[in-house]
Amino acid sequence: MSTADPESFGETRLPIATDDDIVAARGAAREVAKVLGFGAVDQSRIATAVSELTRNVIRYATDGRGTVAIRALAPTERGTGMEIVVSDDGPGIADVTQALAEGFTSGSGLGMGLPGTKRLMDELTIDSALGQGTTVTIRKWHR
Amino acid sequence: MARVPILTFADLLIASVQEELRDRDALALQEELSAAIARTGARGVLLDVSAVETVDSFLGRLLNDLALGTRLLGAYTVLVGIQPAVAITLVELGLQLTGVHTALNAEKGQLLLRRLLAEEDRREYR
Amino acid sequence: MAETLDTTAAQTVIAEQRRTISELQTPVIQVWSGILALPIVGSVDTARAQDMNERLLEKIIETSSEIVILDITGVAVIDTSVAKHLLETVTAARLLGAEVLIVGLSTHTALTLVHLGLDLSGVTTRTTLAKGLELAFRRLGLEVVPRRTARAHGPEREGTDD
Repeated sequence: MSTADPESFGETRLPIATDDDIVAARGAAREVAKVLGFGAVDQSRIATAVSELTRNVIRYATDGRGTVAIRALAPTERGTGMEIVVSDDGPGIADVTQALAEGFTSGSGLGMGLPGTKRLMDELTIDSALGQGTTVTIRKWHR
Repeated sequence: MARVPILTFADLLIASVQEELRDRDALALQEELSAAIARTGARGVLLDVSAVETVDSFLGRLLNDLALGTRLLGAYTVLVGIQPAVAITLVELGLQLTGVHTALNAEKGQLLLRRLLAEEDRREYR
Repeated sequence: MAETLDTTAAQTVIAEQRRTISELQTPVIQVWSGILALPIVGSVDTARAQDMNERLLEKIIETSSEIVILDITGVAVIDTSVAKHLLETVTAARLLGAEVLIVGLSTHTALTLVHLGLDLSGVTTRTTLAKGLELAFRRLGLEVVPRRTARAHGPEREGTDD
């Protein structure tokens, strides 16, 4: 359950259009995570989550375009955090609940890999509707 | 250009990924390894991923498919040097990479390949 | 301002203590060259499993171990989530080239796991730590033999270690 949006600062905005952008986005996310003091495993989780989400944009958005915004969050009692917002003007997700449905293993088949991405993060929220694009927000904290 | 060089060493192919793989580089690697196996008759592939910091579900599945594909061409693929952070992220993503043989480093990887090939050679039906 | 710093400091101490407790509860022990043992006592939640996996993988790299014996004799409840965590440990270690043997399964646990419908066909298990160790030695091409024969044939000789 997300409460009020946490205060953020230091935003990095990148376009998503080609698979070079996937590497760039996850590299940028990893750098920010490093600077914010996330450990190696968390850096990997964050970079991988960004990779999954940006790839979804290229694969599923209408013209395969979108944006990724990486922000540091103001420190709270949850610790230091970062937020990444991946958005596109694609076809939107018809059934968000189904897209997030937890399966035991997501090793086979295509699909958006959202349950796996959610497991890597502390928070994952999706704002999407048919014909209205998709915005996925992920957040992670460490003490 | 992240083209991964493929080296021949006895009856093995050795490929060492030096930097982050874009999707198309990974696909190219898969194709080039298949072609190299067909061309050289190599029976083993040592794929060193110790420099790869991020392996997401796409790359994870590709590596699995790559290993299964080389098997169909008569070669074993051993993945070496998976970083601990990458291993943990992969399992948390729900991937198991059951088609891939793995070893801690290149040295152990080669020993594993030798063992797999020796076991295969020993298989007799009479 | 001072209040925020105190809270942060307190949080850091709590986090460190949590890790220390985790290490004490699930120590990664090198029982032999190439063999690690991980005795788990109590419950296994996500945070504990994550911490355990990280330390296990670090130890695998540090010791170049190829066998990990996961002892679940002391695990109170084996349900789907605990079983998933254990399978994750098995997979993670395997990605680093190590084989995981799970020991300490009771009849009850075995039946529970079967009823949960999980695919454990790729996992090697033994009922006790001793049996697991015996298997681990065999995998590494090792054998434990009595020293009597050596002594009977002359001056004391050191047996081979590895």
